[in-house]
Amino acid sequence: MIYVTDGTFEGILTAVFEAYRNREEPRSIVTEKCFQTTLDSNIRIIETNQEKSDRVYNAIVDKMSYEVLEQIYKAWLSEYHDVGTAIYKFIKIGLKIGKKVISFIQNPDVQKLNDLSMKVSKEVHLFTGILRFNKLKNGIYYARIEPDNNIVMLIADHFADRLSDQPWIIHDAKRDFSALFDTNQVVYTSEKITIPADYKDDREFEMLWKKYFKAIAIESRINPKLQRSFMPVRYWGNLTEKQ
Amino acid sequence: MQLLEKLQVLADSAKYDVSCSSSGSNRANKKGQVGNAAIAGICHSWADDGRCISLLKVLFSNCCIYDCKYCVNRITNDIKRASFTPDELCALTIEFYRRNYIEGLFLSSAVIKSPDYTMELMIETLRKLRNEHKFNGYIHIKSIPGADLNLIYQAGLLADRMSINIELPSVQGLKLLAPQKKHESIIKPMSYVKEQIQGANELTIYKKKQLFVPAGQTTQLIVGATKDSDLTILDLTQSLYKNFKLKRVYYSAYVPVNADTNLPAITTSPPLLREHRIYQADWLLRFYGFTARELLDEGHSNFDTRVDPKCDWALRNLDKFPVEINKAPLEMLMRVPGIGYKMAEKIVRARRVAPLSYEDLKRMRVVLKRARYFITCKGMYYGGIDIDTEDLYPILSEVKTSKGIPGQISMLDVRS
Repeated sequence: MIYVTDGTFEGILTAVFEAYRNREEPRSIVTEKCFQTTLDSNIRIIETNQEKSDRVYNAIVDKMSYEVLEQIYKAWLSEYHDVGTAIYKFIKIGLKIGKKVISFIQNPDVQKLNDLSMKVSKEVHLFTGILRFNKLKNGIYYARIEPDNNIVMLIADHFADRLSDQPWIIHDAKRDFSALFDTNQVVYTSEKITIPADYKDDREFEMLWKKYFKAIAIESRINPKLQRSFMPVRYWGNLTEKQ
Repeated sequence: MQLLEKLQVLADSAKYDVSCSSSGSNRANKKGQVGNAAIAGICHSWADDGRCISLLKVLFSNCCIYDCKYCVNRITNDIKRASFTPDELCALTIEFYRRNYIEGLFLSSAVIKSPDYTMELMIETLRKLRNEHKFNGYIHIKSIPGADLNLIYQAGLLADRMSINIELPSVQGLKLLAPQKKHESIIKPMSYVKEQIQGANELTIYKKKQLFVPAGQTTQLIVGATKDSDLTILDLTQSLYKNFKLKRVYYSAYVPVNADTNLPAITTSPPLLREHRIYQADWLLRFYGFTARELLDEGHSNFDTRVDPKCDWALRNLDKFPVEINKAPLEMLMRVPGIGYKMAEKIVRARRVAPLSYEDLKRMRVVLKRARYFITCKGMYYGGIDIDTEDLYPILSEVKTSKGIPGQISMLDVRS
């Protein structure tokens, strides 16, 4: 049996609910997008249902812990193609053994979910560092990012706290999803944002930063491999010092 | 001189200081102000040498009255000289910070006119940052040897971290290479700062919280400028952690910048592997419960280049192995070559849920290349060879790989 969901977090939790209610063990939980119609008639279309999703959500918090829930949610943000199945298998174990599921990493299903959430956490931490704001002519600080995972919501609070007296936009250009901050609160939008090239007003400090970046490296220790291992080339496109 | 050129000169002069960390402080932001500190520290970029960039690391000035032989900024060197003004430095820090280029400021300086005069200029910069620019980000200030203790106190109230570089691991080395610096002028402020930190912590208990270098103090030792052994360095390190409660000791492989008969030849390449081994040993002291004398002694006063310090220790203590992965206490698991403290903690948590087999360890991605010779899983030994044979050393020696020398492999010490 294959369950097909809309891919939202609530959709996947609804599917978990249905699996338990129907006493079925779905082989996988996939999204409509990834699902290719086969001759296999053994599929069940899951309609996302807030109430059912909430039931599973609360069961995770009650029977496991809030920490476990966070881990599951982070794993979902990885957008891994088979994340629905990974979440389902993990919850199944968690409902059996409780909150210690988080330590049970010798189990491949627990390990899988752990890996996914860890990948997201690592990228969140990396982007608190390598995200770059450009000052625009209207005084707004604009950051364009293209992360592997859907992390805008996980980094916005950090910047709202830290740069609380300046308006800013963090724009995930891969997903067209943005966090907007007006010095009071963060709001999210899926609207497309385009910044004309001549709307940036930042040449002076960009140049100073690039100069600093070059000057701080020790020539006799130059090590591009080490540099790339910390700061993979795929991120360089939005990195001021690498332009 | 243009700001751009000043920045170039004063970053270039500061780059041999290896400490980069921005951790240990949790200074909070306030409404309408700018910045906070993240307790774990954040790296913002990695320079072309692979070292992380967290703080804007610059000298206030490189116009030095001293003539320390190992230092690029010594008075007798013919290099470009520059000094910032406090306002220039504030603008750079704040504007870089608002663009998320940096985590804060790391301010050091050559000695202009006198230690006190220099320290006053640095304090003025910090005061402007904190009071005028309302900056709550991370500040690391280097205190100048010989500066008045009262100035050090004022700086400590403004900074998150303070450091004073010992640079040369022995008094003889200092006399030979930095005759104008007195050993005492380094040790005295260090113990003063330690007392002030303790005092501030005690005050906090019944008074309004007073921050005095909340992220503690650190220092730096140069490796390879003098003939000091690894044992000398490690003994010193241990006493600095124990007696001065330092948060970190950094090590800097000596990069020859000057020619002098008392120094390694200018063509010598920096001893990166040696620096790497000492960093590994430093971690063993701080996180693994080792003492300096367990790792080295008079008969064995330098680290083996081919095996890491923990492995080296294990090979000399084979009677303590193998240990059972399901029973050994955490402290012993951490002593197994190839098992780091994070993995050791994971193992302890996981084995509470269910006993671990060798296959489980593989799945948990324990690096078994070395560990397999030192452990049993459910009573079974997977090393394949007798543990007390001399065949172990060649097996455990690090083979040169395409990655280059081990000293270039990414180090754990880039943060924290």
